[in-house]
Amino acid sequence: MLAFITRRAAAAVVILLTLSLLIFVLQAVSPGDPARAYVGANASPEMVAAERQRLGMNDPFFTRYFHFLGGLFAGDLGRSLRTRQPVVFDIATYVPATVELVVTAFLIALVLAALYALSGALQWPGAALGRGTLLLLATAPPFLLALVGIIVFFGQLGWLPARGVGDFDDPGPFGMQALDTLLHGQTDAFVDALAHLALPAVVLSIAPAVAIGRVFRSSLQAVLDVDYVRTARSKGLTELQVVAHHVVRNGIGPALSMGGLQLGFMFAGVVVVEQVFSWPGIGNYLAASIPVADFPAIAGVTLVLGAIYVVSNVVVDLLQALADPRVTAE
Amino acid sequence: MTAILVPSGRLRPLSVGSRRLSKPAAWALVGLVVAVTGLAVFARQLAPYNPIQPVGPLNLPPLSPGHLLGTDGIGRDLLSRTLIGIQVSWLSALVVVASGLLIGGTVGLIAGATGGWVDSVLLMRITDLFLALPGALVAIAIVAALGSGLVNTLIGVAIVWWPYYARIVRGEVKALAARPHVESARLAEVSRPRILLDHLLPGVVPTAVVSASLDIANVVLLLAALSFLGLGQKAPAPELGADTARALSQLLSQWWVPGVPGIAVLALSLIANLGGDAIRNLIPVRR
Amino acid sequence: MTEPVAVVDDFSLSLVRNGIRSRVLNGVNLRIRAGEILGLVGESGSGKSVLALSLLGLLPQASHPQTGGSVTVGGVNMLRAKETKLRKVRRELLGAIFQDPMTSLNPTMRIGRQIGERTHDDTESVRLLGTVGVRDAQLRLRVYPHELSGGLRQRVMAAIAVAGRPALIVADEPTTALDVTVQAQLLELLRELRDDFGCSVLMITHDLGVADQIADRLAVLYRGELVEIGPAADVIRNPEHEYTRSLLASRLSLTMPRDERFMQTGCDAEPAVRIRNLHRIFTVRRGGRVFGGSREIAAVDGVDLDIAPRESLAIVGESGSGKSTLLRIVAGLEKSTSGSVTLSGTGGPQMVFQDAGSSLTPWMSVGKTLAERLRPLELGRAEVRDRVTAALAAVDLPLEVAAAHPGELSGGQRQRVALARATMIPPAVLLCDEPTSALDASLAKSVLALIRDLRARIGMTVLFVTHDLAVARLMGDRIAVMRTGRIVEIGPAEQVIATPGEEYTRTLLAAVPEIVEAS
Repeated sequence: MLAFITRRAAAAVVILLTLSLLIFVLQAVSPGDPARAYVGANASPEMVAAERQRLGMNDPFFTRYFHFLGGLFAGDLGRSLRTRQPVVFDIATYVPATVELVVTAFLIALVLAALYALSGALQWPGAALGRGTLLLLATAPPFLLALVGIIVFFGQLGWLPARGVGDFDDPGPFGMQALDTLLHGQTDAFVDALAHLALPAVVLSIAPAVAIGRVFRSSLQAVLDVDYVRTARSKGLTELQVVAHHVVRNGIGPALSMGGLQLGFMFAGVVVVEQVFSWPGIGNYLAASIPVADFPAIAGVTLVLGAIYVVSNVVVDLLQALADPRVTAE
Repeated sequence: MTAILVPSGRLRPLSVGSRRLSKPAAWALVGLVVAVTGLAVFARQLAPYNPIQPVGPLNLPPLSPGHLLGTDGIGRDLLSRTLIGIQVSWLSALVVVASGLLIGGTVGLIAGATGGWVDSVLLMRITDLFLALPGALVAIAIVAALGSGLVNTLIGVAIVWWPYYARIVRGEVKALAARPHVESARLAEVSRPRILLDHLLPGVVPTAVVSASLDIANVVLLLAALSFLGLGQKAPAPELGADTARALSQLLSQWWVPGVPGIAVLALSLIANLGGDAIRNLIPVRR
Repeated sequence: MTEPVAVVDDFSLSLVRNGIRSRVLNGVNLRIRAGEILGLVGESGSGKSVLALSLLGLLPQASHPQTGGSVTVGGVNMLRAKETKLRKVRRELLGAIFQDPMTSLNPTMRIGRQIGERTHDDTESVRLLGTVGVRDAQLRLRVYPHELSGGLRQRVMAAIAVAGRPALIVADEPTTALDVTVQAQLLELLRELRDDFGCSVLMITHDLGVADQIADRLAVLYRGELVEIGPAADVIRNPEHEYTRSLLASRLSLTMPRDERFMQTGCDAEPAVRIRNLHRIFTVRRGGRVFGGSREIAAVDGVDLDIAPRESLAIVGESGSGKSTLLRIVAGLEKSTSGSVTLSGTGGPQMVFQDAGSSLTPWMSVGKTLAERLRPLELGRAEVRDRVTAALAAVDLPLEVAAAHPGELSGGQRQRVALARATMIPPAVLLCDEPTSALDASLAKSVLALIRDLRARIGMTVLFVTHDLAVARLMGDRIAVMRTGRIVEIGPAEQVIATPGEEYTRTLLAAVPEIVEAS
C-alpha cells in the first residue's frame, strides 16, 4: 500500500509540474503585457520597459520558468491586470465560496447517483420516472438549467433567491456563508444561506449525478450477474447482505473513477453557474477575467483549480485501492 | 408428454440495461441526426433574414407574424440567429470529435499495437498527463491565451479532447492484440502493417465510432459553455451560448431572448445523445 | 427407508437465451438419497448446470424460466417457494461448490469473512479449513482469494459448502478447472465429507472417469432428458442406453489402442527441432514494500530437447509446469531469456491454440483467412482458390465454409479451420496447445484423429502440449513430463505410462480417474 501511495504521489507531482509548464508557455504566447498590471494603463513605454526588466521578462526561457516556479512555491501568481491585486490575494478571497458550492453540489450529486444506480440495478418499482427526468435534465446545458431555475423558482414561485450567497453578512472565519452562520448558531442567516445555495448547487449537481449514476448502475448490473454473487446467494444470505457486502464494493470502482472525473468537470461547470447566479467565487472571477484578457488571473485560477483536481484524483485512487486490494498489486 | 409450464419464481420486469431500442426506432433517431446535420449545413440558405441586421420590432415574442421565434433587443430575427448558431455549434462539435478521433485514434492504435517503450513511456505518459488535467479549464486557458475566436476555440478543445480517444482505442487494441488471432496472423507471416489494418483496426472501429457518437453531445455542451463565457466569436456573430449570456438581463422580462438559444443547445444535446444511443444499439460490438 | 434429501419430480424447464425460448429440461425424475453420492453426467448443453441451479433455487430470472413439475429439497419446492423460505433451505440444508474457483469467490473480501458468512464463528472456520486440508488455517483467514491457488480456492469453497452441516452438497463440475493431482485430492475430500458428515453429494461432471471414482449411483443426462440411471458400476460396465454407450466409447483412456501408423520411431537425420538449455525467467513485482522487491519465476528452467523429423512429441504437465511457455518460445511468439531453439526444414512453426474461436479473426471469412496464409507464395487467384478448397477438404469441411465467418461455425469446425490454416503449407513443426481441452469428448476424439491423419499425410513433426495423460499417449510417439519448468522424464509413450521412472510421473498416473475394466 505504501508503495502505491508513493507512486501516485510522485505521479501527481509530475502532473502538476507539467501543468505549471503548460501555463507558463501559454502565458508567454498570450496577448497582453503582465507588466502593465504593475504600472497601470497610463504608464509610458519607458516605464513599461523598465518594469519588464525588473520582472525579469527579458531573461532566457528556462530562467524565466524557474523564476515562475519559484514564484509559485512562494505563493506569487503574478498580478491581475483587472484588479491590480496579487492574483493569490484575489483567489484567496473568492475560493471559499466556490469550495462551499462545489462540495455541496458534489454531495448532492453522489446521493442522486446512488439513488439512480441502486434503483436501476435492483429494479425499484416506479423509479424509472425519476431516472428519466434526471436524464433529460442532464442533457441540458447547465446555464439553461440555471436560467429555467431562476425563472421558475424565483420569477414565478418566489421560493428561492437568484443571486449571491446570502442577504446577511458572513461572520467568518471560513468565508463560507452557510458553514460560518451554522457555526455561529445564527439560524435565520443559516436558512437564508441555504436558500441561496440551493439553486446553484442543484443545477451544478445534475450532470455529474447522471454521469456517475449511469456508470455505477451498469457496473452494479454487471456484478449482479457474476459468479461470486451466485455463491453468496447460495449461502442463503439476504438480498440486502448480498448487495451491501458483495455487490457494491466490487461495483464501485468505475463509479469512483467517474466521480473523480466529474469533480474535475464541476470545476469548469462552476464558472458558468457562478456567473449566472452572481456567486462570488473564483468561477465568477475567472468569468470576469476572460473578456478583458486578464491572463495572469486566468493562469492563476487554472493552476489552483488544476492542483485541487489532481489532488482529489489521488484521493479517489486511494479510495479505490481501499475498496479493491487488487489495485495495489500492480 | 408436454408438461404445463408455469413461470417460476418472482417475475421481474425485463431488465433494461442499456435501453434496447427497436431497429426502426434506432434508424429513425439516426435519421434525425442526419436531418440536423443537413439543417446545420444549409443554415444560411434556410435562414429567412440576415442574422446580424435589425429587421423588425424590438423584443417580439415567439409566434409573432414573420418572426417564428421572435426578435431580440436590437430587432434581429431570432430564428435566423438560432439557425446560424446551430450551424456553428453542430459542425464545430463534429469537427472536434472527428479530429479527436483521428489524432487520438492514431496515437492509441500505434501505442496499443507497438507496446513496449513507445507505448508506455512515450505515448501513454503524454496521454495520461493530458487526462490528469481538468480538460475544460485547460481549454479555457488555451483559448484565452490564443485569443478568442472560433478557430482558436476549436483548437483549444481539440487539444484537450484527443487523449480520451487515445485511451479508449489503446485499450481496445491492447485487448485485441492479446488475442490468439493476432498471434496466428504473425505465425502466418502476415506483415506488421497488414496486421494493424486487417486484424486490429476493424475490431477497434465499432467501439471508437460508438464512443465518438456518444461524445458529440458532450462537445456541444462544452462549446456552448465556452461561448457563454465569451470565448467564441466576437459580437455580433450569432452563437448559441454567447447569445444566451448577452441577453441575461432580459431573463425575467423577455425570457425568449436568452431562452431560445439555450433551448436550441438543449435540443442539439438531446438529439446527439439519442443518436449516440441509437448508433450504439445498431453497431454490434463483437467480442 | 429414510426420506430422500431431494426429489426432482417430472421437472421440465424452458429458458430464453438470445431471444429464443428453448426447452432445456424435459420430464426429469430423480431422487437423491441421504448419504449418497449421485453422479450426474452429460455433455455441454445437456442441462446439468441448470438442474443444479434449480436445486439451489437460483434459476436466472433474466432468462425468464418457465417450469413444470417440482424440485423439492427438504420438503420445500425450490421453484415456487418464497425467497425467505428458499434462503432458509440454502442456509440449513444446502451447500454449493461451483466450477470456476477463480470467479466464485468475492475478490475484495477476505477468506475468513466469506466463510464467516456461514459459520459466524472464526474458530469454527479454522476448524473447517483444517477439515478440508488447508494448512495454516488461522493465517489464511486474513488472505484474499487472488493470493491462493485454484486448488486451495476450491477447498475454501468446500469449507463454505460444508459449513452449515448441509444435507446436500451440489457440486457443479468442481474439479474441471483443476489439475489432475489436485482433482484427485478434492474427490477424496468429498468422499470423506460424505463419510464424516453424512451429507449427500450431487456430483455433476462431464468426465465418466471422475463419476466412476466417486459416485454410488450415476445418472446420465442427454439433451435435457434423463436417459439412464442406476448404480455407478452397472451403468458404466453395462450401459443400457445408446447415448451412454457412445459416451463411454468416445472417452479417452490410458488403455485404448494407439494409432498403428506411427509405431516405428527412431530416425538419425538432423532433428527437426533442437532445443538447448532453454530458460525463460519472469520478474514479478510484488507490492507491499516501499521499493517493491521483485521475485524471479523461472517458467522454463533449463530444457534440452531433440525432436526427430516426422516424430510427434507430447509434453504433459500440470498448470505452472511451463509447457505452454515452452511451446510459445518454439513458435517464436515469446522470447527466451537464454538458450536456443533451432528449427530445420522449411515452413516455419505453425500453432493450433486451445480456443479455436479466438484464434480466427472474427471479421474475416474463412476463405480470406486461409487465402492470407498463402500470400507469401504470390500465387494467382485461381490457384489460391484451388488450394483453399483442397485445404478445407483435407480437414473434412465442405466448400461452403469458406464464405462463413468464425462466429457462424461450431467449436469443432473452428478448430478444423485452424488446422487447415496451420497445415496448408507444410510447417517445420506443428505446435498444439491443448487444442481439444475445451471440446466435448466426442468432438475431441475426432479432432485428435484428424491431427493424426494430417500428420500421416504430410509427414509433419508435431509438438503436442496437454495436461491429459491419455491424450498424450494417443498423440505422441514419445512423452515428456514437465514440472516447474524442467523435463523430469522422457521416453517412448507406452513405456512412460507402463513403467514410469519418476515419482512425479507415478503420482500423475495414479491421479488420473481411470475406469477399471471389470475383467
